[in-house]
Amino acid sequence: MLETARYEGRRRLRGAAILTAGVGAYAGFIIWYFTVLEGVDYEDVFEDLPPAMLDAFGIESLSTIEGFLGAQVFNFVWLLGLGLYFAYVAGGTVAGDIETERMDLLLSFPVTRSRLLVEKFAGLLVPMIAVNALGGPIIYLFVVAVGETIPLDHLLLAHLLSIPFLLVCAGVGLVFSVAVDRSAIAERAAVGTVFVLYLVESVVGGADAYDWLQYLSPTQYYEPTPILIDGSFEPIDSAVLLVAFVGLLILSQVLFERRDV
Amino acid sequence: MSGETDRPLVVEGLTKAFGSVVANDDVSFAVDGGEVFGFLGPNGAGKSTTIRLLLGLLKPTSGTARVLGADIRDEAALTEAKRRIGYLPAHLGFDGEVTGEAVLDYHGAMKGDGRREELLGLFTPPIERPVREYSTGNKRMLGLVQAFMHDPDLVIMDEPTGGLDPLKQEAFNEFVRDERDRGTTVFFSSHVLSEVRRVCDRVGILRAGSLVELEDVETLLHRSGKHVRVHASDAAVAAIADLDGVIEPKRFAEGVQFIYAGDVNALLGELATHDVSDVEIGEPPIEDVFAHYYGSEESVDGGDDSGAASDGRDESDGVGTPDESDGPGATNA
Repeated sequence: MLETARYEGRRRLRGAAILTAGVGAYAGFIIWYFTVLEGVDYEDVFEDLPPAMLDAFGIESLSTIEGFLGAQVFNFVWLLGLGLYFAYVAGGTVAGDIETERMDLLLSFPVTRSRLLVEKFAGLLVPMIAVNALGGPIIYLFVVAVGETIPLDHLLLAHLLSIPFLLVCAGVGLVFSVAVDRSAIAERAAVGTVFVLYLVESVVGGADAYDWLQYLSPTQYYEPTPILIDGSFEPIDSAVLLVAFVGLLILSQVLFERRDV
Repeated sequence: MSGETDRPLVVEGLTKAFGSVVANDDVSFAVDGGEVFGFLGPNGAGKSTTIRLLLGLLKPTSGTARVLGADIRDEAALTEAKRRIGYLPAHLGFDGEVTGEAVLDYHGAMKGDGRREELLGLFTPPIERPVREYSTGNKRMLGLVQAFMHDPDLVIMDEPTGGLDPLKQEAFNEFVRDERDRGTTVFFSSHVLSEVRRVCDRVGILRAGSLVELEDVETLLHRSGKHVRVHASDAAVAAIADLDGVIEPKRFAEGVQFIYAGDVNALLGELATHDVSDVEIGEPPIEDVFAHYYGSEESVDGGDDSGAASDGRDESDGVGTPDESDGPGATNA
């Protein structure tokens, strides 16, 4: 039981450690930089920016550590960086094994295709959980170290609610991964899709025309800055993400079930 | 011979088309329990396609097969049957970052590894090293260990000896014979005639996606003749080329080469009467066997091309047995 998930998870350990260390180092730099900027009327700098851009970058209140973290760390790293990262990595999961013909060996095991797919995907939970479970405390310690405070529950929520969002991004990658034969194509297509959806949401979010388009993007359903500042979020958003993820997973299984490898 | 339902492998009208290219065209045969069955054919004939259909990796366009009683179109039944199947693909896509030991641990956890230590005594991949450092031969040995370590009833292998050195090949041949004697059914593909003749009880021959012959090895060898290359004077060459049983003699600067279908002793007797400076007698490359016994050279080439284009996975790594590599080299000289 779960041998494949364990094996795949173990393969991801090193990548998860590097990812967590990188994100932690960047967060440390941003938090240190916040202390450097104190005294500068930072919000004046952004005053002239169009509202759409402020909205796109999640810029709300840069003079507080919560607002600064939300804009500089969570919007850039979690929403964009990790979203693209998990789409990319998931894109390589199945297509990569098909390309190297490792899939021939895996499918000679007494395990159904749908189960193999789910267990391979489960390996991605290792970096996803590591970057949140370790990244959160790292951010908190850095904040405390520079003499600032941040509500623990808000920080916890920002991390927890990122999981359904990251699952959807990985789910997009998984669909491409089972649909094509080459990992490079699946990875690019997955990254491109998530990035385009992010851009579309940013562009139409500030306008009335075609504003329904923004609801297609997973980034619409995870807004870390308000969570960090006042702990506000819509439970329905996370529910939408989880339903979308399950849909993508089922679609991947159907596609994988039918294809030649 | 057991009844159809008991036979470990029954293939019925199996057809697989990739677009307009038919890689397997209505292939039918059956393998008996405890037999070593060779699936022979030139590169690109569609052998890997058949094997990948049998494992459920590809979906048949029409027809089907039963593997240990499980219909290959029934995923649940085939998955259950895979507990008793060992598989060695032609190309071993092991995870390069982990050690051979980790690969075997994983494979063992998935299907069992009761005979692992015994097999590691016979085939000796350096399991403490990462797989990416492995030579082709070491990868093949790791593949053989994982294919047999759960003591399967049926083992399916695609070009199993590619990359093995001659000593390991001999060890492999002996091992396969022992496995058969223990009751294991072995089905393997090859494009090397000398390989199948040493271990197989029966042979099916696939060409351009169709099964053209199904016969026992003795018959096949009898029909395939010898590949002969003689270095001698012009007069001697002319006499030798006129012998009965000489097929398609080809002259080259110092002599002649041909396929000889007659009695080898008669040939040696004739050669002894001439001034011969060098002679090589070996098995013909399988392409020549096809060309001379199953159709024209053109159609073999045609089958090769279309098959390779359709499958893309049927190429061997070009490593043959020593006597096999003599053949094509001489042909091109």
